[in-house]
Amino acid sequence: MSEYIRRFSLRQRIEHAAGMTLFIVLAATGLPQEFFEQAWARWAILAMGGIERVRWVHVYTGIVFAALVAWHLLTALLQVGRRKVPASMVPTRKDFLDAIAMMRYYLRLADQPPRFDRFDYRQKFEYWGLVMGSLIMIVTGFMLCFPVETTRFLPGQVIPAALLMHGKEALLAFLIVITWHLYNAHLSLESFPFDKSIFTGNTTRERMEKEHPLEYARWLAAQKPEAEPKPAEPVPVASGEGNAGEPGEKVSREHVGGSAPEGGPEEPAS
Amino acid sequence: MVPNMRWKGLDGRALRPGIGETLLAKRLRYFLTVAAALLLLPGARAQSGAPASAGGISNAVCLSCHGNSSFSIPVKDGETLPLYVDSKSLAHSVHAGLACTDCHSDITSVPHPAKSFPSRHAVSIAYYELCRQCHFDEYTRLVDGIHFKALSQGNQDAPTCVDCHGAHSITPPSQPRSRISLTCGRCHVSIAAAYAKSVHGQALVEHSNPDVPVCTDCHHAHDISSANTARWRLGIPQLCAHCHSNSAIMGKYGISTDVLSTYLNSFHGLTASLERSERVNPSEFTATCTDCHGVHDIQPVNHRGTAAVKAHLLNVCRQCHPGATANFPSAWIGHYEPSPAHAPLVYAVKVFYLFFIPFVSLGLILQILLHFWRVVVNR
Repeated sequence: MSEYIRRFSLRQRIEHAAGMTLFIVLAATGLPQEFFEQAWARWAILAMGGIERVRWVHVYTGIVFAALVAWHLLTALLQVGRRKVPASMVPTRKDFLDAIAMMRYYLRLADQPPRFDRFDYRQKFEYWGLVMGSLIMIVTGFMLCFPVETTRFLPGQVIPAALLMHGKEALLAFLIVITWHLYNAHLSLESFPFDKSIFTGNTTRERMEKEHPLEYARWLAAQKPEAEPKPAEPVPVASGEGNAGEPGEKVSREHVGGSAPEGGPEEPAS
Repeated sequence: MVPNMRWKGLDGRALRPGIGETLLAKRLRYFLTVAAALLLLPGARAQSGAPASAGGISNAVCLSCHGNSSFSIPVKDGETLPLYVDSKSLAHSVHAGLACTDCHSDITSVPHPAKSFPSRHAVSIAYYELCRQCHFDEYTRLVDGIHFKALSQGNQDAPTCVDCHGAHSITPPSQPRSRISLTCGRCHVSIAAAYAKSVHGQALVEHSNPDVPVCTDCHHAHDISSANTARWRLGIPQLCAHCHSNSAIMGKYGISTDVLSTYLNSFHGLTASLERSERVNPSEFTATCTDCHGVHDIQPVNHRGTAAVKAHLLNVCRQCHPGATANFPSAWIGHYEPSPAHAPLVYAVKVFYLFFIPFVSLGLILQILLHFWRVVVNR
């Protein structure tokens, strides 16, 4: 049963692809500046055409990235505000309970992982981490671009503080992406070698059922009037198939968005 | 720089008589001379006192004319060229053991043909390549230097060997050490004056301090580079750090040796460091040591007073950052590592990430491992 279920709208997928591309360019041009004393960093900067060009690319990519983040947040706020999409990325009390339940499951204190909705607590953590991190990067980045204007209003010391923060926050974001995000999207058994859903927009019924059972149930219920053969109540995660699929691990990463039957995009992927 | 110039005269014409020999022939001749001298050393010692050259013209013959203190000829620009050689200063020079014709090898018979020169300086230009016969390394370095370049471009004021070292009365140029800046100062008058008042120059002149730099420590003696290039600018931090990162020297004066590392960790420092490793010159200058501290007129920072330093810094900043306000210079937190006392905000950011990055990273890795363990090992 590998029917596909639409999970991400076109706009969400484009936003994710754009964010990913910009992130890679920013990291490629930014991290060598952070580690400029290392031989590899100096080599990378020379290979990219020298520090002046690297900075030029970094600054303009950063401006585009800032525009993307602004666009994403603005449209997401508007859509959630107008109730066009559910606020499925907003952390709730359930997320904290889920996190505890997941720990209990990991430690074998529980037999089943918690049942997640459209986004589980890890996806929300990563999404909001990325949003906050992006805001820090954008604010400090603009300060570094406009030091004279910044110190018209703020003490001079914010400039070296912004420089330090920009580099460290970037390093943190990079570490999170290469560990957490790549593990979930590529290396975990559920997604290996590559979870394509944020690129194709589709996921399988099987995985929806395992990874987002609550959303799946809602989706089934919505399908019902239109001759959905399946039982209304979705099979609980660990039903018949024994242990075959470990439940709970999620594949896709932070995409916001709601069940948006009409393709009403919401908070797009990061 | 101009490698093809090495074997020609500066004007590209054949070298002066006697200098036109090939290098090999010259080296061979010197080798044979030295070898003969060594072989005949016991005998030579016995008859020393009046060195004679291979050509057989003894110094006494030369001095029979050139020992006359009033011996001179006019040069074309109206000045008088003295031809007197003081045999005493010659005897006290480093070249005391040489015969006249060792250098003046174009003189093969006495009396020699008359020569004429457009000016006194033209004489030293005409003869400086004589030095190359023995001082070959210095000569090749000179060829890479800015003085030689000026000379080869036709600048008749450009110095040659004898302008700095003297001709017949040559003594070691760096004894005493303070003599070096006096030598350079004969032409570079205003720079020498500024240097003499600087913290380095004062220590040199007044205390004969061996730690301070003299002209040649930064600029070199023979292969002097232009100090007006981007390459030179970008090398300044390493130039200063050569001494200022040396705790053996700086310890004596209570000066921090973190000046280079703190500079490099700043935006300007990392820019200069990266641009230095590139072949293409940057389109904009980035601030280096001398922009804030001055060049030849360097003064100790703590002698100026805080207010004066801040006012000075603002002016420096505005050269590249027009419109900078009074807050702006403190974007440079000085040559200090961030600390609660110096730059508390930067310090706070530093400490925060020092803990936050490992905390988040390790937390996520831990959850990955737990997940992996539960899924694979512990199903």
